[in-house]
Amino acid sequence: MAAIYSLFIINKSGGLIFYKDYGSAGRMDTNDSLRLASLWHSMHAISQQLSPTTGCSGIELLQADTFDLHCFQSLTVSQTTQRKGKKQYGTKIFVVCEPSTLHMEGLLKVIYELYTDYVLKNPFYEMEMPIRCELFDVNLSQAIQKDRVPLLGR
Amino acid sequence: MQFFGGSAAAEIAPSPAAPPGTATGLAGNNANMLYIFNRSGVCLLYREWHRPLHTLDAQQDQKLMFGLLFSLRSFTTKIDPTSVDKGNLGVPLLPGQGCSFYSFHTNTYKLSLLESPSGVKVILITHPKTGDMREPLRYIYNIYVEYVVKNPLYVNGTPIKCELFNTNLDQYVKTLI
Repeated sequence: MAAIYSLFIINKSGGLIFYKDYGSAGRMDTNDSLRLASLWHSMHAISQQLSPTTGCSGIELLQADTFDLHCFQSLTVSQTTQRKGKKQYGTKIFVVCEPSTLHMEGLLKVIYELYTDYVLKNPFYEMEMPIRCELFDVNLSQAIQKDRVPLLGR
Repeated sequence: MQFFGGSAAAEIAPSPAAPPGTATGLAGNNANMLYIFNRSGVCLLYREWHRPLHTLDAQQDQKLMFGLLFSLRSFTTKIDPTSVDKGNLGVPLLPGQGCSFYSFHTNTYKLSLLESPSGVKVILITHPKTGDMREPLRYIYNIYVEYVVKNPLYVNGTPIKCELFNTNLDQYVKTLI
């Protein structure tokens, strides 16, 4: 059984630019994954508004009955100042994994490194558009290999 | 109360003894806010102990909180990687139907949720480093059952104005680590 079920990458405006499934049960079509991505984008933004203190940057870990969701937001954000709160929308990467899987923060950082190296530095890639880069796919599947997950927690 | 395992009545009366492991040592003001919603989204109770930042007025804030929970529920049900039949996104779910979540944390707070089988939602917001809050939430739910539901003057679905409940809640929340 896979430790990681799926991986999503969302651009700054909430559009899904990368989605990969690693063996979750049931079918999810393209429309559903797009809707889930934009739903997560807005939930992430609302969670910033409900913070009791300043400086909230959104959900990092969601614990559900059957899975954990770890979310990483890039630091290069577009900020909009609205009323008292400042909202941050960065590129978000999130993985759905088995409950209490360790070293996910490390893995998310590695995925972000791969994204910067193989996607952002690709001269043919247009910003905020769906990711279609072969090198990224190859390196990503290497990083996700289950046995390597503990080694990535550096 | 049977749903959450037996001896809570004995625990609560007359002076509440906190469940083991939640009230040892460092007592502090760790909790920020508490919300209780009924199944139709009416905010029965809103308490705040430590909240420096108010972005919205109270009513808007409560609506936003309920909306967030409602949408996150349908999100988790849809994304649930272990069930084959996921249903459609955005369709209202019955209490206990589909995959739910019990907590999330951001860099500034942690939100823990308990949904009772009758659809009452208890939401506690604490410091992001607090541990598993499922037991304390069950305890708070038991206080609610003892002092609110069993109060003959309380009308179901109205905001809670029971003094005993508030004092017991405050007393218990102060002991949370």
